[in-house]
Amino acid sequence: MTELAHTPLYDEHLALGGKIVPFAGYAMPVQYPDGALKEYTAVREGRAGLFDISHMGQIRVTGPEALAFLQYATTNDVARLNNGQVQYSALLNEQGTFIDDITTYRLDADAYYLCVNAANRHKDVAHLQAVARDFNVQLHDESDGTTLLALQGHDAQHLLQALVDTDLETIGYYRFAETQILGRPAIVSRTGYTGEDGFELYLPNTIATEVWRALLEADAVPIGLAARDMLRTEMGYALYGHEISDAVTPVEASLMWITRLDKGDFIGRQAVLERREEGPRQRLIALKLTGRGIPREHYPVLVDGETSGEVTSGMHSPVAGGIALAYVRPEHAGGGELAVEIRGRAVAATRARLPFVRSNVRK
Amino acid sequence: MSIPADLKYTKEHEWVRLEDDIATLGISDHAQEALGDIVFVELPEIGRRIAPGEAFAVVESVKAVSDVYAPVGGEIIEVNELLESEPEKINTDPYGAGWIARVKTDGSSAELLDEAAYTLFLEE
Repeated sequence: MTELAHTPLYDEHLALGGKIVPFAGYAMPVQYPDGALKEYTAVREGRAGLFDISHMGQIRVTGPEALAFLQYATTNDVARLNNGQVQYSALLNEQGTFIDDITTYRLDADAYYLCVNAANRHKDVAHLQAVARDFNVQLHDESDGTTLLALQGHDAQHLLQALVDTDLETIGYYRFAETQILGRPAIVSRTGYTGEDGFELYLPNTIATEVWRALLEADAVPIGLAARDMLRTEMGYALYGHEISDAVTPVEASLMWITRLDKGDFIGRQAVLERREEGPRQRLIALKLTGRGIPREHYPVLVDGETSGEVTSGMHSPVAGGIALAYVRPEHAGGGELAVEIRGRAVAATRARLPFVRSNVRK
Repeated sequence: MSIPADLKYTKEHEWVRLEDDIATLGISDHAQEALGDIVFVELPEIGRRIAPGEAFAVVESVKAVSDVYAPVGGEIIEVNELLESEPEKINTDPYGAGWIARVKTDGSSAELLDEAAYTLFLEE
């Protein structure tokens, strides 16, 4: 086994008593001593949760053909972005299946910033570099020098404002500002993965500890991976390796809204067009147990008593009970008696609408 | 870490309180702490016969699903239904309100450790 990487905040996690687990090649805190449920509650019920997500990757794309390159390499329509806007998007391969899901930040007409999943970072960089040979662009993998924090919850703006010069009120949802924190350049975006209002902060590693401590001092609550997964699952947000992977296209994953077939050619477009024509091979659904139990990843999903697919993400929501995202055969997406097989028993379920829990993001 | 002296323990971190031929079963303080927040408990049916070492209940935390193994053999005569609505009692009071089941024992048992032996086992 290769040695796990550490984020710049690893020692802080240890000092707080964080329980460290391997995640995407990094040693990350799954929870702190108060436990995942208290962390979850702090974010949902009006405080601010602080997440170290520095394991994620950042790639800067610059050059006269940066826009043309990103239009070809990503699924969403990058031409719709103005300076200071963020877009959820994806990288597909020629088969139309996912290499990764990403966010694209437009810094300027010829300068963009991509945030990618930790586990996919090296694969993404290699792929993008290969594609970039045909374009006049430069790519810089800035991941190792960048700390990424998320501050999420009702109090996030109030706590963060003390550290940032820019008036955070001027940053709308999926907008960002290039600003300064502790006198160092930073990107602050009103984005997140929790369904609460909040921000993500891209910082130079040199100020990571100082900013982390300042936010905790201001009463932010440190949040581990377990609560992060609860929060995102309640929103029905896709997670690479679960709802999206190189086995599915945007047609299956219900991500056609970030796949702009009308924007011109891009990698995977032809395959997605064909898949849309022939129909999805499976469909992502949201379900809620009506019987007792917790639906977990890989548990079989039954429709009218027969196995139709499996759970991709599932949990016990303190608010909504047993909830899950699952792939089922396309003909079962709309109808049929639904159940999840838990330890050999069929536990009844119903189709649910997303999000499972009310979102408080500021639209 | 609490390890009451009047109980016996298994290497799978269950505890048992033996009073004549009635055994009360649960999971140890160490087990609940390792699991983290417990959010679901699947209780056995009353009347079920269990053998020592048999999985008779399931405890689920936020991230993990864990079987609970029988320290003794016998018949389930009572289950702690409170855990269906308040599974967190296992976290807050593992040896008291967090008990899982009562068994009328048939005299068979798994390897049971006393307080000193279990303490030593945890330190290994």
